[in-house]
Amino acid sequence: MTDFEPKIVAFLCNWCAYAGADLAGVSRLQYPSNLRTVRVMCSGRVDPVFIISAFKEGSDGVLVAG
Amino acid sequence: MTAKLLDLTGIGKDRLHLAWVSSAEAQRFAQIAGEVTASIKEQGRLDARAFDLELEAALMTVNGETLRWLVSKELKITTEGDVYGRKWDTASYESIMDSVLAREYHKNLIYLAIERGNESVRKISAQTGLELKKVSYLLADLEKTNRVAFDRMEDHKPVFAVL
Repeated sequence: MTDFEPKIVAFLCNWCAYAGADLAGVSRLQYPSNLRTVRVMCSGRVDPVFIISAFKEGSDGVLVAG
Repeated sequence: MTAKLLDLTGIGKDRLHLAWVSSAEAQRFAQIAGEVTASIKEQGRLDARAFDLELEAALMTVNGETLRWLVSKELKITTEGDVYGRKWDTASYESIMDSVLAREYHKNLIYLAIERGNESVRKISAQTGLELKKVSYLLADLEKTNRVAFDRMEDHKPVFAVL
């Protein structure tokens, strides 16, 4: 079980976190590839329903970044 | 609130992370991605099938009218006051929300347990892990709102059905 790679759903707000992630990509910063990003226009759009559904569909963790 | 709900299901609030990252903080994003991945890695794989009943009940709860009304009215009631003119402070409002959350979640859990064939109080209690007294108490609520009905007697014990 030492090579368990978690699936993490990351809800990123377009203007802040997604742009930050984009900048990280452009700057060639290395970070783990376990995040499956979902771009939302505002982190306020993230409903608890999205979070529970993410777990239901099999994600091991959820990140909401705004 | 979602964190509290995750705690109730047994999945744990540590699987949900919240972070504020500005568009200029690329380094910080990479750092947070690393931290979250490490935290989830430590907690291990989440078996969604093992939590199937709990997740379904959680989904019903956050989709339900009661919680959604409470959340949407929070700002108004804690600033302007409720329809009776009473002003609530945020702490008491949130503690009410917490107890309603637990109550709605357990009711939905019982509803789904009955739907999946656990029709007597003992079977419901075994499936959901709730004590018998609590199951009876919440069943009365479900009957009152016409979500569940008394079906028949089996072995001198009442058996219920979903409506």
